Amino acid sequence: MQKIFNLACGSFYALGAYVGVSAVGWYVDAGGPPALFIVPLALAGLAVGAVGVVVERGLLRFVYDRDETFQLLMTFAIVLMMEDAIRLTWGTAPRSTAGLYLVYGQVRLFGATVPVYNLIVIAASLAIALAIGWLLTRTAFGRIIRATADNREMAEALGVDMRRVYAKVFTLGTALGTLGGALVIPATAAMSEMGIELIVEAFAVVVIGGLGSMRGAFVGALVVGVLRSIAISVYPELEMLLIYLIVIAVLVARPRGLFGGATA
Amino acid sequence: MTPTQASRRQFLKLLGAGAGAAAATRLDGPSASAQATGPVKIGVLTIRAGVAAPVGAAGLRATEWWAERVNNAGGILGRPVQLIVEEESNPKDTVERYRKLVLQDKVEVVLGGISTGVTLALGPVAEDLGTPWLSWDGTTQKGIEETMPNPKWAFKSVDNEVEAIVAGILTPKYFKSIKTVAGIGNDYSYGHDCWESYQAVLRRYVPDVKFVLELFPKLGVTDFTSHIAAIQQSKADLLMCSFWSGDATIIMKQAAAVGLFKTMKGVFTTGGGVHDSLKKEFTPEGLLLGYNTMYFDDPKASALLKQFVREYKAKYNEYPPYECDHAFFNAESYKVAVEKAAGPAKKWPDKAQVVRALEGLEIESLSGKRSWREDHVQMCNFYQGITTHKNGYDFVTISPIEVVSTKQAMKPAGSKLFEWINGWKV
Repeated sequence: MQKIFNLACGSFYALGAYVGVSAVGWYVDAGGPPALFIVPLALAGLAVGAVGVVVERGLLRFVYDRDETFQLLMTFAIVLMMEDAIRLTWGTAPRSTAGLYLVYGQVRLFGATVPVYNLIVIAASLAIALAIGWLLTRTAFGRIIRATADNREMAEALGVDMRRVYAKVFTLGTALGTLGGALVIPATAAMSEMGIELIVEAFAVVVIGGLGSMRGAFVGALVVGVLRSIAISVYPELEMLLIYLIVIAVLVARPRGLFGGATA
Repeated sequence: MTPTQASRRQFLKLLGAGAGAAAATRLDGPSASAQATGPVKIGVLTIRAGVAAPVGAAGLRATEWWAERVNNAGGILGRPVQLIVEEESNPKDTVERYRKLVLQDKVEVVLGGISTGVTLALGPVAEDLGTPWLSWDGTTQKGIEETMPNPKWAFKSVDNEVEAIVAGILTPKYFKSIKTVAGIGNDYSYGHDCWESYQAVLRRYVPDVKFVLELFPKLGVTDFTSHIAAIQQSKADLLMCSFWSGDATIIMKQAAAVGLFKTMKGVFTTGGGVHDSLKKEFTPEGLLLGYNTMYFDDPKASALLKQFVREYKAKYNEYPPYECDHAFFNAESYKVAVEKAAGPAKKWPDKAQVVRALEGLEIESLSGKRSWREDHVQMCNFYQGITTHKNGYDFVTISPIEVVSTKQAMKPAGSKLFEWINGWKV
């Protein structure tokens, strides 16, 4: 909607991961029951999304009308600054929530052992996707977002306060990133460069799905995730190649991506 | 050209030379004679960003600990030690910083270097600049081949593949019925070389062993779910993993989540150098786990190691990994070499004399006795063992502990790795 290709979204994901680890650490030290660790984890992930307001009001709003190259450079600068800020705050060693990942146990599904925590994260992702879908299609705010994405000048002429909408939308996006980072962290470990790692895959996801399309992002993520898993099982050498072959194929055959028909 | 022009040009040239000389004097700092009595400037190259930052931090911390200890004891031949730290990043930039340390800061020695991708480029530069360079963890190997068999100024780390060779030697001792093996390592030279070396060694002990799967995710990956599924599918008896950073902890946790090691044995050649993050909750007993050249919980630890571990834990709330030992050895061997080369007259030696004193030198490092081979490669012991939960920590340690010397597990100077392994009498 803001017509900005935000390279810093991976950094918000990393920030959410680190804040999530710290929140869970405090929770455990305070004697909280391990089974409820997901509550402080998710709350911390959501709360730190407030950094989005600061970034949007403090930096991004100055580059909305600038050249795209300038916007890319600005968001890349944010990536580098946040990586250093994370390193200064949490140090260089990987941070994790120790064994809490296994606290919910495992279940057998289709002959495979699956950690229950993974199922919780999948369910949470679906719930978030549905909630965003509902927000965009069924609420007045969603209509304003869609109208602004479609025609900013017209929306502004009809009385939409663009500053507020941009700040809200960017903060919402940031909170989704930080929440995602927090939720994924029990299964892995927080590392300062994890944001940059993510952005590369995210790029493949949005190109396949279609820039600016929520449905496209959902389908693109599934395509990338499933293809990677199949490649690793069948022919590991193809893991990355396969994804980028799909990216190239989509760019050649359907440059707007699978769901990128709209200009949203 | 008129005489006037010539003289004006000559004048300008002289003026420029004078200004240059004045600038050089300012940049150089103390003169050579003053340096012999001033602080001993020691350049340190370390990684402080990215996936290897914890390794770099450990090396730097140990070097700082050493410097403080030396300065408290009166310095080297009465001169205090001053560390000048520069970043190790990509080969090109690191080479520039190396030049800066030698040419501008005028250090007596450069310590450090972790990634062989970088140190491979540093080796020839060190030879050109004529200042001793002692590498913590980086070699001048291209793959498994040595590119600088007869260096003058460069002192290199242990061959990269040694810990995989040690694991290959110990695997048949602890896992007798192994028939099929899967491997996972990072997708660059170290991961591939470790896997090749491990296979070559294991084939010597278990000729009918089959290697059923090899996976090489790129460095920095944090989700191994698909890799673990592929490893499960392979139904291998054993998984060999050469991860050397935080990814070792991640794969351990994700493997535990699907019960991988309930049916499969495991070999972790370095445990990522983040051993205190291998929590008991997700790291099973019975894995073969390597600690590279220093085991912080060694029951036979020297007073020096015990003091170091105690102070490191108190200061950083972590237990020290092997990189500390590499870094301490480098710094301490330089000090001992200077004192040895100074002789009874205690005259500060020149750099070439220090290099000669380093060759073949054996000293007491954190992990015990370590030495420099005549061809400038570190000689030391490697510590590996079977993971246990029977300790006072919340993470695994090893018992029994196996100590394997580089005399047994590193190819001799001038030999070819696989020819050497295939020539073993097993």
